[in-house]
Amino acid sequence: MNIAQQIINGLVLGSGYALIAIGWTVLLGAARLVNFAHGQLYMLGAFVAWAVMQKLGVSYFVAVPVAVLVLGLLGILLQGMMLRLVMQQNLTSLMIVTLGFGYVFQGGAARIFGGDPEPFVSPIQSANIRFGEIWFTWQDVLTLVGTLLLFAVLWLVMNRTRTGALVRSVAEDPKLAQLFGINASLVYIGVFVFECAAVALGAGLVAPRSPILTSMGFDEVILTFVVVVLGGIGSVGGSLLAGFGLGMFTALFGALVSPAYTTAAAFALLLAVLVMRPRGLGAR
Amino acid sequence: MRNLATPAALILAALAYFVPALSGGAPVIYAACTTIAILAVMSYGADLILSYLGEVSLGHTIFWAAGGYAGSMLAVNAGWNGWQTAAAAVAVSIVLAGVLGLVTLRTREFVFSLVTYAAAVVAMEVAFNWSFLGGSDGIVGVPPLQLTLFGVGITGSSNAELWPVAWGLLMLTLLFIHRFRRSRLGTSALMVQMNPDLAQALGVDARAVRFLVFVASAPISALAGWLYGYQRAYVGPDMFESYFLVLMLTAIVIVGRRLLLGPLIGTALIIVQQTFFSIGGDGDKIVLGAVLAAILLLFPKGMIGVWEAVTVRLRSSRQ
Repeated sequence: MNIAQQIINGLVLGSGYALIAIGWTVLLGAARLVNFAHGQLYMLGAFVAWAVMQKLGVSYFVAVPVAVLVLGLLGILLQGMMLRLVMQQNLTSLMIVTLGFGYVFQGGAARIFGGDPEPFVSPIQSANIRFGEIWFTWQDVLTLVGTLLLFAVLWLVMNRTRTGALVRSVAEDPKLAQLFGINASLVYIGVFVFECAAVALGAGLVAPRSPILTSMGFDEVILTFVVVVLGGIGSVGGSLLAGFGLGMFTALFGALVSPAYTTAAAFALLLAVLVMRPRGLGAR
Repeated sequence: MRNLATPAALILAALAYFVPALSGGAPVIYAACTTIAILAVMSYGADLILSYLGEVSLGHTIFWAAGGYAGSMLAVNAGWNGWQTAAAAVAVSIVLAGVLGLVTLRTREFVFSLVTYAAAVVAMEVAFNWSFLGGSDGIVGVPPLQLTLFGVGITGSSNAELWPVAWGLLMLTLLFIHRFRRSRLGTSALMVQMNPDLAQALGVDARAVRFLVFVASAPISALAGWLYGYQRAYVGPDMFESYFLVLMLTAIVIVGRRLLLGPLIGTALIIVQQTFFSIGGDGDKIVLGAVLAAILLLFPKGMIGVWEAVTVRLRSSRQ
């Protein structure tokens, strides 16, 4: 086994985890909303991009932005339906509602796209870069750079702009924010749209690694959850670090111990953290 | 009123026993009724958490599958009879619930739900990969259920023969839930959910209550899984599928939370749709998920909330 190669793998895996998780981090931080349809949204993002490539014959680089757009619109629709419960902060019901949505997506996608694995191919997936024994693909580079860019932009927006201040004020105290004339429902919709769009981008960049299935998405939820809890709920920088940490852990565990039990190992790590810090590592 | 409640319940229970026979007694009817009873019992396990603790456990498929695996493996490999396998199913589920309950003791709300959900996904991964549990093939060739009750031997080789057992299990579960609702633990759980400060002021140990309710709920779902293994003559990693999870939650919320018969009626509605009015497996998924989301979005109290709204309006229009 080559340690340097595993570190590269860990970086690539980790950037994917962070990218898939970032929408959830923001959603949880700003709206205290847990979206159990997250894994199915990931699946939908991949399938929409795949279908656009298949039916319209456009390139991968057009299909992924289309999928991001489609999922963003879906986000407006979903959050519009949930808005009453969100404004009441009825979190128990909301969790179950998103679980129902996820199940509808799974059944709907199986109806539309069929139950077979489909090849969702990126043209730069097969373009390798080699340095002696170490190798990676241009798709890996794209995922890593895309993730870092998105996180940088998100950090700037959240911490340096008025939009970010609005989101943070609603996260802090929705009622007080509304007294100051901030439209909280608009913020909630915006945050949810970001979640859907970000997970679609994650799917567009990460999913081409293997054939896509309409039944996928469960592992993504677990890994996302691990990233969010380890990184600290709502913390942009924390989830990037946690994503890379988890990526390293997965790559090394898969190479040294057993690839079949990596999700289980990530979960065991999470349990250990939660027993010590029930509100996550980042909690004050 | 109170004096009439017990005889009325007994009459209802006896009537329920004859539902499949009165509906024509065809094998498909017995299959549907047995399945409804089994899945309703499964839902009552999760109901204990959702209705009385106010938390969403997404991990009850673990106990459901654990009961199925424990019972079926011992029946296949050790030739144990029905009582022994049932006892094993209960024991295994209590151990698992104890561990998960201790780990989640300090978690609340979405963290609790996520940890239980993650535990279920990981449990499925373990069941899928561990050859001890049969791996992806599961445990096949489970022999018919063998039980001796008051000297009468019961063999459950068909749904019609399993029905009395399923009915009995359902009635025992209903009795348990009924007693739980009036027990010290049940009322403490409601108080912890509704008014944690009051509960604390009265000296109720919220963590102990949460832990005990969680552990008490596991054997209910486990016994359902135990019987399900005999019904299908097979258990496998598919018992962890989100179908069962979504079904539990839908069955609980569709009629209304904290109603004794709610999960039973909910399960019956779902299984009748899937058995007699199915629009294909994927179509049924869309129906189930959409019903779950729509009920909570439109009528957060469930169908009982619609009923209350209608009666209030009727009453006010009469005045």
